[in-house]
Amino acid sequence: MSQREPWRPMMRSVPSHPAERAGIDRRRFLLSAAGAAGAILLDACDSNGPRSATRLLRLAERGNEKIERALFRHTSMDVPASGARAAGPSFPSYFISRQVPVWDDSVRGIWRLEIGGLVDRPLKLTLPELASLPRIGYRLDHFCVEGWTAVATRTGVALRELAKVAGVQPAARYVDFESFDDNYHESWDIESAMHPQTLVVYAQDGHYLNSAWGAPARIYSPVKLGYKNTKYLTRIMFLPERTGGYWSNQGYEWYGGV
Amino acid sequence: MNQPGYIRHHAVVRITHWVNAFALTLMVGSGLRIFNAYPAFARRGETFCCYPFERRPIPAGLTFGGWLAGARNWHFAAMWLLVVNGLVYLGFIYLHGEWRDLVPRRGILRDALEMVKFYVAARRDHPRQGKHNALQRLAYFSMPIVGIFAVLTGLAIWKPVQLSLLTSLFGGYVWARYWHFWTMLLLVALTVGHVFMVFAVDPYSIPAMITGRYRERWSPEARNARPFVHLLPATAAPSPEERHEST
Repeated sequence: MSQREPWRPMMRSVPSHPAERAGIDRRRFLLSAAGAAGAILLDACDSNGPRSATRLLRLAERGNEKIERALFRHTSMDVPASGARAAGPSFPSYFISRQVPVWDDSVRGIWRLEIGGLVDRPLKLTLPELASLPRIGYRLDHFCVEGWTAVATRTGVALRELAKVAGVQPAARYVDFESFDDNYHESWDIESAMHPQTLVVYAQDGHYLNSAWGAPARIYSPVKLGYKNTKYLTRIMFLPERTGGYWSNQGYEWYGGV
Repeated sequence: MNQPGYIRHHAVVRITHWVNAFALTLMVGSGLRIFNAYPAFARRGETFCCYPFERRPIPAGLTFGGWLAGARNWHFAAMWLLVVNGLVYLGFIYLHGEWRDLVPRRGILRDALEMVKFYVAARRDHPRQGKHNALQRLAYFSMPIVGIFAVLTGLAIWKPVQLSLLTSLFGGYVWARYWHFWTMLLLVALTVGHVFMVFAVDPYSIPAMITGRYRERWSPEARNARPFVHLLPATAAPSPEERHEST
């Protein structure tokens, strides 16, 4: 196939300045090739990246939090896609204890949800007391930090209603949600906590929570990633300062907004 | 006949090119690590129609960030580098006129076909071109467009409640995540094609993208170069433009 290599007379003459080309251009070529190889290596090692970048990453996280808080609207409501099927029993279960955390009344006394901190009227609510408060249910997406979503109907009491009952003071800028799942807790900004879809949930898909899903009660809001939503709830503390959290102290974003 | 050559790419274009290469590498690597935390698209309790590798993770060696939180921190930091750099580039080529070398011209598909014919040796001579051939134009024009979609779909899955309008524009969270994955695939495919052609057809474009220097007799058109053919510079009489420059 003579067609494959077209013969062009102009290509056959001897290079006029081989030294110039061989010297300068090869050096440039190697330099850029080394740069490209470095970029590839940086990626290829499944690493955390350089330690020195940590401060830069923190800076970016703080900047992102500012943007997220500026974007936040109480009126932005989560509405799952119309065709979305409820996860039902395939809703994942998650806790940090070795075994499913179960509140044993005979050992720890009757379970009560404590609402305290910067409040005028601290509350201690049993499950029947909680269930007797104005009930609200939403069909909601669950956004896991891992990237999956699941749809479930969450029923409980809006935290903003509980906050009114307890009389939260203006100095309360943060809320910490504590649990009996070892030392699991996560703190939030007050704005997200007062979102109308932020609920103290005691029922999922029409049934009281089972132990795998955070019984007797958990916090749930579609405006926060899954890990921010403490299960096995014991205390809700209104605080002047943020108090970190189980996963946020280990490197996940503290804000974790959706 | 020691032609001085000319500056092929403005410094802004050269710098944003390499910053983009760096930022994209970080974004793709960390994005794949994030994906591996749930290497599937299906909502829990559902199946997903359109991804044949559900629940098969990406090889760890292609990922960056070490673990999910690390990768997320990198992803949400490098995204600003990518976005700001992209805006600088687009703003510059808009104001400085380089966009004219990139927008598709009338008959670009026919010209692209001619390039393909030339590359598979179904055509003898390199088609006439300006700064870029028709295939390059298509690639370099689509790259920023895919990039814009990558950013928009990324925003849609970052804030699906606060930016729910944007998310629903892409068909909801699950689909937005799927399109975000596709923009990554397209960007990687364009990059792989681009890098292959640089080494196989026009290695002289590497110094041109670093110092800016280029000579017309290095160009694939002057060399009649197709992949791995005629890699050495042309040494015949310089083109009219170059003759003009060297006097």
